[in-house]
Amino acid sequence: MTATVTTPGPRRARFLSKKAVLPWLFLAPGLLLALVFKFLPMGKGVWLSFFDVRPFLGDKWVGLDNYTRVLTDHRFQDAIGHTLVLGIGMSLGGIVAGVLLALLLEGQARSLKIIRTAVFLPVVTATAVVGEMWRLMYYPTSDGLINSGLGLLGLGPVPYLDNPDTALWATMAMGIWMLAPYNMVIILAGLAGVDRSLYEAAAMDGVSLWQRLRHITLPAIRPALGIVLTLAAIRGLRVFTEVYVLTGGGPAGSTDVWMTRAYTLGFSRNDIGGASAASVLLLCVTLLLTVTVNYFRKRGDVR
Amino acid sequence: MRDRRRSHRLAAALTVSGLLFGTAACGSGSGSARAGDPNTLEVWTRSDPDSAQTYKRVFAAFTKKTGIKIDYQPVMNFDQQLQSRASTKDLPDVMINDTALMGSYQAQGLLKPITPASIAGHDEITAQSWSSTVGRDGRHYGIPYSRQAMTLFVRKDWREKLGLPQPKTWQDTLALAKAFATRDPDGDGKKDTYGMVVPGSAQNGYVAWWGASYLWQGGVRILEKEGTGYRPAMDSAAALRTVTWMKKNLFCGDNGVIQPSALTSVTANTTNFQDGNAGMYLTGPYNISTFDKALGKDKYEVLPAPAGPAGNDVLADGENVYFGAKTGKARLERTLAAFLISPEGQTLAMTGDHQPVVRIPVNSTLDAAKVRHDPRWSVVQKAYETASVQFPNAPDFAPVKQDTADALNAIFTYCGSDVRSGLKELNDTLAGDLKDQDLLK
Repeated sequence: MTATVTTPGPRRARFLSKKAVLPWLFLAPGLLLALVFKFLPMGKGVWLSFFDVRPFLGDKWVGLDNYTRVLTDHRFQDAIGHTLVLGIGMSLGGIVAGVLLALLLEGQARSLKIIRTAVFLPVVTATAVVGEMWRLMYYPTSDGLINSGLGLLGLGPVPYLDNPDTALWATMAMGIWMLAPYNMVIILAGLAGVDRSLYEAAAMDGVSLWQRLRHITLPAIRPALGIVLTLAAIRGLRVFTEVYVLTGGGPAGSTDVWMTRAYTLGFSRNDIGGASAASVLLLCVTLLLTVTVNYFRKRGDVR
Repeated sequence: MRDRRRSHRLAAALTVSGLLFGTAACGSGSGSARAGDPNTLEVWTRSDPDSAQTYKRVFAAFTKKTGIKIDYQPVMNFDQQLQSRASTKDLPDVMINDTALMGSYQAQGLLKPITPASIAGHDEITAQSWSSTVGRDGRHYGIPYSRQAMTLFVRKDWREKLGLPQPKTWQDTLALAKAFATRDPDGDGKKDTYGMVVPGSAQNGYVAWWGASYLWQGGVRILEKEGTGYRPAMDSAAALRTVTWMKKNLFCGDNGVIQPSALTSVTANTTNFQDGNAGMYLTGPYNISTFDKALGKDKYEVLPAPAGPAGNDVLADGENVYFGAKTGKARLERTLAAFLISPEGQTLAMTGDHQPVVRIPVNSTLDAAKVRHDPRWSVVQKAYETASVQFPNAPDFAPVKQDTADALNAIFTYCGSDVRSGLKELNDTLAGDLKDQDLLK
C-alpha cells in the first residue's frame, strides 16, 4: 500500500480519480469540524462587524463605523497597552520559568516524574478555578496566603489586585504560573533530544555551567523555544479568562485587556457589532504576529 | 489489500455522513423538538441553582393546574446566552430577568409588546408597577413580577456590644463602620473586621448598582428626563458633592471602613458579611435567606437605608416577565404570566426552603411580611413603596450603567484624582450613549 501511494501516478490523472479523492475523504471529518465550528463562526464575526446588530429588527449596515468607534475609544486604547504588557510579560516570564523548570526537572528518576506531574497541574486546571484560588491567595489582608507570608517577614499587607499600580503585575504572575508548566513540557521534549555525548565532551573540557547552557542546551532546544514563543504570543494577546476572573478588568480599568473590553462591549452593553469589530482587529493582529514570528523562525533555521 | 481499502473508504464515508447528520441536528437549535410542541413553553430565568429550585416548584404547580408544560432553563450568564439565541432568531417563549434590561431588549427588538388588559389579574398590579414597564414608544414590554429595594443589613450583636444606636444618617453609618473596623466587635483580639461591604467592581456595572442608592440619597440622578428624551446629569453640584463624599469617606478614608478588596468585588465574591467579618451591607433582600443560614436570624437586623442630604431613597429594581418576539405562543404565554402574578403564583415564589424569587410581590393583595411571617420584609416593602427610585426603564440603560460604573470605579480607585473632571468626562460619555439612541435632549 505504501508502494502504491509513493509511486508517481500517470501524468494526466483524472480530476476525480480515487487517489485524488481518498486523502480528502480522510481529511473531511477534520475539515468539516473546522468549517462548522471555526471558519463559519469566524466568517460570521467578520460579517457582523460591519453591522449594527439587531437580529429581530434587521441588522443595519454601518460600514466601518464599528471599527472607528473601537479604535477611537480611549478605553480600548488603554487596553492595547495592558494587553501588550500582559502578553509580552506572560510570554517571556512563562518561557524563562518554563526553561528553568525543565532544566531542574529533567531526568528519569521516579521522584522527578512525580514532581513534574505536580508542576503540570495548573495547566489542566480550569482557569476559572485557578483565578478564584489566586484571588484568595492575593486577598489584601493578613488572611490572604501571600500576605500572611509577608506578615511573617514583618511586611505589611499589599493590596495586589485593588491597587491599579500592582493589579496588572499580579495578573501577570498568575498567568506565568499557569503558562510555565506547559512550556516546560515542550522544552523537556526538546531537552530529551540533546546529544548526551556533547555534555560528556563538555565536562571533559571543563566548561562552566553557563557555557554548557549557552553553547549546547540552548541551541539544541531552539526549535522547541520557537514553538513555545509562537504559542505564547498568540495566547498572550487573546488573554481573557485570567483577567475576567481575577479582576474583571478593574480597578479603574487598569487590567482591562482587549478581550475583556470586547466582552464588556458585546455582553454588558449589548453591542455585538462593536464586539465583533474588536475581535476581528485582534484576529488580524494575531495573524500578523504569527506570520512574523514564523518568518523569523524560518530565517533563523536557515542560517 | 483492495478489500481493506474499500472498508476504509466505507468507514470514512460513514464518519462524514455521521458528522453531517450530527452538525445538522445541532444547528437546528437544541430546544427545537420541545419548542415544536404547541403545548410547551420554553422559559428562561437568570437564576443560580438554589433559586432555580423555587422556580421549579412554581412551574410544577402551573403545569398541574393548566396542563401546559414548561421547558425550564435556569441560565446564569443570561445575556450572553440570550445574545446567541437571538442570533439564531429563535428566542425562549418567556423570560424572567432584571427590570433594568427592558430598554435594552426592546431596542434590540427581542420583546413582544404586551397589553396589560389581556393578562388575567392585571388589575391586582398597581399602576405604579405597571408604569415601570412602559417602553420608549409608550407600549408595555414587560409584566412586573418581583420588586425589591435596597436595605441596610447590620450586625445587631456587634452594634449592641459596642453600645451604638441604629444608623439613621450617613454620619451615623460612617461612625458605626469605623467602630466595627477598630473596636474588635467579634472579640477575637484581632483587627480583622470591616465596617461595610461594597461590591465596587465595574464588572457588569456593579458599582453603579450599589452606588445608585447613595446617589439618590445625595439628590443625584444619572439621567434627567426632559420632554421625550433624557439629559445626562452627572455633572451637577449634587453629583460632585455626593461622589466626593463617597470617595473621601468610604474608598479613600480610614482603613477598614469598607472591605479591602472592594474595588474588584462583585456580589458573588463579596461574602464578608455572611462570613462574619464585616458589619454592614447595603444590598437587596434576596440575601435574607442566605444570611439566615450563614449567620443566624438573631445576629443581624434589616434597617431602612440611612439618609443622606436629600433623603433616604434607595435603588429599587426587580424582575419582569418578558415575552420573546416572534414565538407564536401568545395565548400560552399570557396564561403563564397570569399565573405568575396571581396570589398563588406569587406566594409559591416567595416561600419554600430555597431562595425566594419574588421578593416584594407585585400583586397588591399580598403583603410580603405576612406571607413570609417575617416582619423584616415589611422594612423592604416600605422602602420600595415609599422611598425608592428605579433606573429609567425606557432607554437602553445597559451602556449608561456600564459607563457610570467604569467612571465611578476609576474615581474611587485613584484617591488623588479630580472628581469634578472625572464626572465631567462621564457626563460626556453618557451624552454619547444617549445620542446613539436618539434620546439626547
